[in-house]
Amino acid sequence: MDRYVCTICGHVYDPEKGEPRLDLPPGKAFEELQNDWQCPVCFADKDKFVKA
Amino acid sequence: MAAREIAKGICWVGALDFDRRLFDELIPLPEGTSYNSYLIRGSTKTALIDTVDPKKEEELIVNLIKLGIEQIDYIVINHAEQDHAGSLPMVLEMYPRAKVVTNEKCRDLLVALLQIAPESVMVVKDGDTLSLGDRTLRFFLTPWTHWPETQITFLVEDKILFPCDLFGFHQATSELYITNEADAYRSAKRYYAEIMMPFRNSIRGYIQKVRDLDPAMIAPSHGPVNRNPKFILDAYADWVSDDVKNVVVLPYISMHGSTQKMVDHLTGALIQRGVDVKPFNLTHTDIGELAYSLVDAATVVVGTPTVLFGPHPQIVYATYLANVLKPKVRFASVIGSFGWGGKAAETIVKMLDHVKVEVLEPVVIKGLPDEAALVALNRLADDIAKKHKEIGIL
Repeated sequence: MDRYVCTICGHVYDPEKGEPRLDLPPGKAFEELQNDWQCPVCFADKDKFVKA
Repeated sequence: MAAREIAKGICWVGALDFDRRLFDELIPLPEGTSYNSYLIRGSTKTALIDTVDPKKEEELIVNLIKLGIEQIDYIVINHAEQDHAGSLPMVLEMYPRAKVVTNEKCRDLLVALLQIAPESVMVVKDGDTLSLGDRTLRFFLTPWTHWPETQITFLVEDKILFPCDLFGFHQATSELYITNEADAYRSAKRYYAEIMMPFRNSIRGYIQKVRDLDPAMIAPSHGPVNRNPKFILDAYADWVSDDVKNVVVLPYISMHGSTQKMVDHLTGALIQRGVDVKPFNLTHTDIGELAYSLVDAATVVVGTPTVLFGPHPQIVYATYLANVLKPKVRFASVIGSFGWGGKAAETIVKMLDHVKVEVLEPVVIKGLPDEAALVALNRLADDIAKKHKEIGIL
């Protein structure tokens, strides 16, 4: 599973860590996140993320 | 300040702030600034484009009253930040029948930042139009050209673009239009560096879109109106591109002279190798000038003494700022001196996590630079010149 980085604020989505701020447990690939998922830091849309 | 017509039936009704010297309590404003608001009268409806900083709200209202404006139908908000939307509560109080026109994200921010009632907002989507009778406003959503909600408004028949913060600059001037493009270039580049540079990749996607609109005039929310849009669009295209110039930016601090000696030596060594250098002694550097120089520099070298095991706090501050501004710099290094220990270089390199740089081997020495230190600085100058040659800028 790949890590993805937010091109707006630099936050990294790491599927192995999950997203504690969003109560998202580890183990979910970035591709599986819903389309309206947003960066937990700057709220940029999912399409602003690129592979780290 | 008097309202002035920028085209028939379209008035600048904003405020000039000659006195303001600091923005966001951070960035110096050597030329003051303006908050531009524009009134557009169509045959059936009247629209106000953006407002002004709330400390100048009375000037906006007086401008409207002096123009004899009894009704405003629409208040277009391109950006929710307080220096443009902050007088919205007052304008709504004076013109209670007006509808706020903006996108969904901006509406949510207006509710949060200014406690605007959500039902007073008419939400528009990308490409939507709004008729003023014989005139038409068209909205384009341009998220992350500063904030997530930023949008631009195009007055179709007159071909005037109202891009809010994009393409403007901080300057209070009695001149309504840009009259000296060389001066405007410097001010606009500084503004780009301070505000827009972190969103370089987003902006790049919108430049062609704006060119396709073929605007006859760009009326931004800060600074004078631009009657030659090609000038600013070409400048932005250059700044947001991946092209870098044969320049090393060298922010530094020296407490007892050792780092200063290293900076002086490296500066000379780079000049000898045909590389331009811009040293900035941070004890008296205008942070906006440092940001300006980072817009297209290929390399940044940070010069720091060691304070309590780490870099000097002034250096930490400048490095933090440079990192979040995300310049397109390709190479980085650190030089500096310590008395008895520390890890200044590692700390600086770790801080640069937002910029994709190749780190050239730092030169950190004990005490005053000796012959070996000067040789190491020559080696760093060689490395920089080599890298600049490799990417074809030297």
